[in-house]
Amino acid sequence: MSTIASFGFWSFVGIVAGIYTLFALGVQVQFGYAGLLNFGQVAFMGIGAYTMAILVVKEDLNMWLAAGCGIVLAILAGLLLGLPTLRLRADYFAITTIAFSEILRYVATNEDRLTGGSQGTINLAGIGQASQYDGAWQSFLGKVERNLHVGSDAAMLILVWTVALLAVAAVTLLMRTPWGRVLKSIREDEDAAASLGKNVFLYKLQALALGAALGALAGVFYAWQFSFFSPDDFAPLITFFAWMIVILGGLGRAWTVPVGALVFGVIFAGTRFFDFPPFSLLDSTERAYVRLIVIGLVIIGLMLFRPQGIFGSRKEMVLE
Amino acid sequence: MSSAILEVRDVVRTFGGLRAVDEASFHVDEGSITALIGPNGAGKSTLFNVISGFLSAERGTVQFEGRRIDRAPAHRIAQRGLVRTFQVPRALTRMSVLDNVLLAATRHPGERLNGLVLHPGRVRSRERKANERAAELLALFRLDTHAREYAGVLSGGQRKLLDFARVLMAEPRLVLLDEPMAGVNPALGRQLVEHVLRLRTETGMTFLFVEHDLDIVMEASDRVIVMNEGRVIASGTPAEVRGDQRVVDAYLGTARTT
Repeated sequence: MSTIASFGFWSFVGIVAGIYTLFALGVQVQFGYAGLLNFGQVAFMGIGAYTMAILVVKEDLNMWLAAGCGIVLAILAGLLLGLPTLRLRADYFAITTIAFSEILRYVATNEDRLTGGSQGTINLAGIGQASQYDGAWQSFLGKVERNLHVGSDAAMLILVWTVALLAVAAVTLLMRTPWGRVLKSIREDEDAAASLGKNVFLYKLQALALGAALGALAGVFYAWQFSFFSPDDFAPLITFFAWMIVILGGLGRAWTVPVGALVFGVIFAGTRFFDFPPFSLLDSTERAYVRLIVIGLVIIGLMLFRPQGIFGSRKEMVLE
Repeated sequence: MSSAILEVRDVVRTFGGLRAVDEASFHVDEGSITALIGPNGAGKSTLFNVISGFLSAERGTVQFEGRRIDRAPAHRIAQRGLVRTFQVPRALTRMSVLDNVLLAATRHPGERLNGLVLHPGRVRSRERKANERAAELLALFRLDTHAREYAGVLSGGQRKLLDFARVLMAEPRLVLLDEPMAGVNPALGRQLVEHVLRLRTETGMTFLFVEHDLDIVMEASDRVIVMNEGRVIASGTPAEVRGDQRVVDAYLGTARTT
């Protein structure tokens, strides 16, 4: 069967889109609702994934508990990042976030005794001792497969999307509360919010931490899906994928994120079927880069013709 | 006998070499409508920003209801009941007019994550009360028909009213109005003045406002404070201030004697 018609391939696209939904939902909370320019979201994904893997392999911790620790640690990292930087002007904050994510990636690359280094988690227990952190996940997945009578791809698809859609629903509800109202007011005008008695800094910190938790949740699913990862999986480019998803879908609405993630996933995977000229002149590695060009063109086109994203409101965009 | 609700003492604020506010001292009586006037560059807006916590004072103290607020952040000052407006109204454009007003609700348990989780009942009842109050205020300022629209579609004048409604929602005891008449048509300006006068009579709310329209100042205020070059040069009733030679000099310049 050709790839384009295979369930295995498209379920993979769907799983990755589900993981990216969680990941980009964090950016939606931070930027779409609170107006924070976080360009280091991938760091939280890395913290979630690495914390879980390290605790399972090195400390023999229960994997679920380890995953929880990963999320908690990402929240703490978000607070630690936010405390000194959230008082900075938006653009300076943005620069520190990208530096934060790069610092963590370099640390993960070089602290090989802690992280397995550039070779990734395969070396977590030491070189030559192939280590594995997702045994508990695989057995859980197996149970889901048997109970639902589905294959492992379908089971993963169901699990990822259940969690992703629950998270989208939770964020949607949260943003309808008075808490969400304050967050939006900070996005609109933080001086106005402060003049009405809202502690702007505290809310920004909470938004950053909530986005970090979502990033880490995406990170543990990423770790379960790929069974093995390395610091290069958490390059800044991944953060910008989240931004593309949020912009594609539309800002300030949680439910646009899964749609943006699916569209992004299809564009991203779809370019692999560009086997006609002129793309057929390129070999497959070169063609892998074509998708980045396509994504870039889509974003440019969107900015020109539909700056509000697929579902955003044009009316909102023109308000001053 | 009225007592001072706001006491500003020897406040200094510089920008580089410029002493924007230079040992300014004055007080505002509780329940009064006090105007702060002075030529452009006199330091009125800077002083407003210092009082409301948006700028820090380098020296001097600010006391609100007997407690120092000169080291408090802006949001804490607002929570204590000293709420300001801005020269250009700050409508939260991509939020509904109603949400703009609801935002100003005070002591709302639903604005804290733990409150949302632990006391959903209290959140609901506070939100219901806030909605009732917001509806009253929107009706008062004739914005009720726009409640569900984005604040960004409102006209400049309507935004001024929205700003005012929002400030009242915050239950202030002292309101700082930064040029309330600027960019407002005379009819709307009239309306705003009447709201201020009525609120003072009905609720005892205190107002301190910066204004360039001296007719409004003379008509609406009980006391006038005059600033020039960062200092308070005169204060008193509108009639006293009008006859003060220093004030005339500040506005018109002194005659050159050669």
